[in-house]
Amino acid sequence: MDCLLEGNCVKAFGKAVHALSRIGDELWLDPMVRGVSSTKQRWKGNSLALRSVNSAHSAYACFLFSPLFFQHYSLGPVSEQGSETIKCKLLMKSVLPLFRCLTSIERNVERCQISISTPSDRVIIQFFCRHGITKTHNLSFQESEALQAVFASHLCPNVLKAPARLLGDMVMHFPVSQEEITLSMTPLSVSLRNYYEGGNDHMKTMYTEMSLHLDEFDYFQVGVDSDITFCLKELRGLLSFAETHCLPVSVHFGAAGRPVCFSVEDMVLEATVVLATLIDSESTGPSQQTETLAPTTPRCAEAAVLPVGSCEANSRKHQGVPAVMELIPSSQGSPIISPPALMLLVPQTDNPNGLGEPDEACASATTTPASSTICSLLFRALSSEQDSDGCAARLPVLAYYSDGEENMEEDYTRSPSL
Amino acid sequence: MPLSTQSQADDEQYVLVASLDNARCLSNILKAITFKDHAIFSATPNGLKVTVEDSKCLQANAFIQAEIFQEFTIREDLVGFQVNLTVLLDCLNIFGGSTVPGVSTALRMCYRGYGYPLTLFLEEGGVVTVCKINTQEPEEPIDFEFCSTNVTNKVILLSESLKEAFSELDMTSEVLQITMSPSQPYFRLSTFGNSGNAHYDYPKDSDMMELFRCTKTQTNRYKMSLLKPSTKALALSCKVSVRTDSRGFLSLQYLVRNDDGQICFE
Repeated sequence: MDCLLEGNCVKAFGKAVHALSRIGDELWLDPMVRGVSSTKQRWKGNSLALRSVNSAHSAYACFLFSPLFFQHYSLGPVSEQGSETIKCKLLMKSVLPLFRCLTSIERNVERCQISISTPSDRVIIQFFCRHGITKTHNLSFQESEALQAVFASHLCPNVLKAPARLLGDMVMHFPVSQEEITLSMTPLSVSLRNYYEGGNDHMKTMYTEMSLHLDEFDYFQVGVDSDITFCLKELRGLLSFAETHCLPVSVHFGAAGRPVCFSVEDMVLEATVVLATLIDSESTGPSQQTETLAPTTPRCAEAAVLPVGSCEANSRKHQGVPAVMELIPSSQGSPIISPPALMLLVPQTDNPNGLGEPDEACASATTTPASSTICSLLFRALSSEQDSDGCAARLPVLAYYSDGEENMEEDYTRSPSL
Repeated sequence: MPLSTQSQADDEQYVLVASLDNARCLSNILKAITFKDHAIFSATPNGLKVTVEDSKCLQANAFIQAEIFQEFTIREDLVGFQVNLTVLLDCLNIFGGSTVPGVSTALRMCYRGYGYPLTLFLEEGGVVTVCKINTQEPEEPIDFEFCSTNVTNKVILLSESLKEAFSELDMTSEVLQITMSPSQPYFRLSTFGNSGNAHYDYPKDSDMMELFRCTKTQTNRYKMSLLKPSTKALALSCKVSVRTDSRGFLSLQYLVRNDDGQICFE
């Protein structure tokens, strides 16, 4: 893969890296043969996806750059297997410093070339600057399956489309340390307020709430009155990006517990952040909420994810649990890839025993109402190899926790769209 | 101004008297070479030289020409002493850091000779402070024998371009590799860090390159920790000369432009 970005686009790319750095510690670089955006605009030609996910798998971001974004973009020699391209994972702390100072990039960088060199296992990022100065960075990468959260935003009952600065101006009123906020939507208004844990520090917390009339938004759709609580910190990167590029922000969400999707798009790029939301604490069974939080690290190896709503390793009892994904085949007939190797992240309760004993929580999960089901963002590994089994496309079901791995495999026969 | 009321007789006791209207000029420069506590001062009729050394492998010199000083009187050919640089800097900044524009600290530095302390008269806004700093036997600075005749490669760059590179340098790299060559890549700084390596290339015809005189291709690696102190000097300077000799010794010279004159660093 080899691409060339010119001046302003380098800055936009850098801003995307900044936004992604708010989410996770690793950056997935995914050159795609044919990018399909979530709004189903199929870009002609190759595209590049930059993705990141947080360690708790409760926040995911994807920046998709169309071929028009680049001055030049080529996937390089294609191997015999067909459309196989290298997908790599880079450490955020290797990439972020290169784009740290956006003003100096704006001032000095004329062009930026990014290429993946397979023989040396390096991603080469070269900045061609003023005065003939060239800066070359050879970063080692890890080859990895692509990462993608599958989220059918068009199925969300509630939609808001906010003009560029609106959301940014709203969140400005919350302190930088504010971790979670609650967005409430009724047919009359939308409000944002800070989310507090409750308990001892009533007196010390400053409560902030602001309401907006629905007329302030470019577009709104109120399917169901809902209050969703999500992590603000992870969102700020995208809001800052939207503001810089004067792009309106679309918000797709449903009831509490289901993920919320924030997206921006323009002619040449599209950015999405999917965040888990807290489940409505009143309706969850007691067994699903425990005080302790099992560490994520040992679990992840077995493709399990801790349903943590906000920053990891916090032993707060309201573990934010992302909602279930619904998988629907693409209405535009996008190609369906049946990935053989699914890197499914099976949700895990707060039960410290984790994978070993899902039953207890599951039993209660299936009996409680849908809105309080514990689930998580489910990630698919995309493999360009066609599945020899060729599972037929069909409407998959909500992935209930209790179903475990055995039902998951058959559900993923859909196109790689967000 | 109170300082000028010093009697003529007092002056004759001093082997060295140096006055500056703005002590900040001296303190800024000294700050840039304060990576060790002690500094060797040697004054000649040409000016003042301050030397700081680290573990016998790094030496920093600041030359302040006599013309920079409002008054520079020296009664011997060479006056040398050693003082604690941190203490000296504290004294120079005794009136505090930030100043109202237009108000500056005036300095009169006097030294009576061997065995006597270094006396500083500092004045700001009518308030005078007298500081006496004990001096020590000056150690013999190392002579790296870096002379112009042995210089194989020399480039002079405008500091602006290097400042950016140095601020972005991958600090996880233990070494900084400097390649200078009459052919591509001409002048290259390279780091080898945890995430990979990085190269900063400056072509010989760049606007930032004031002088490019390389006779042979040389690639040398220097410990990053030894180069760190030089970043302060780089920040103050407007031009840098990078020279290597046949042994691979690196000499960096920073030109610091004062309001009216020039001070040279090494």
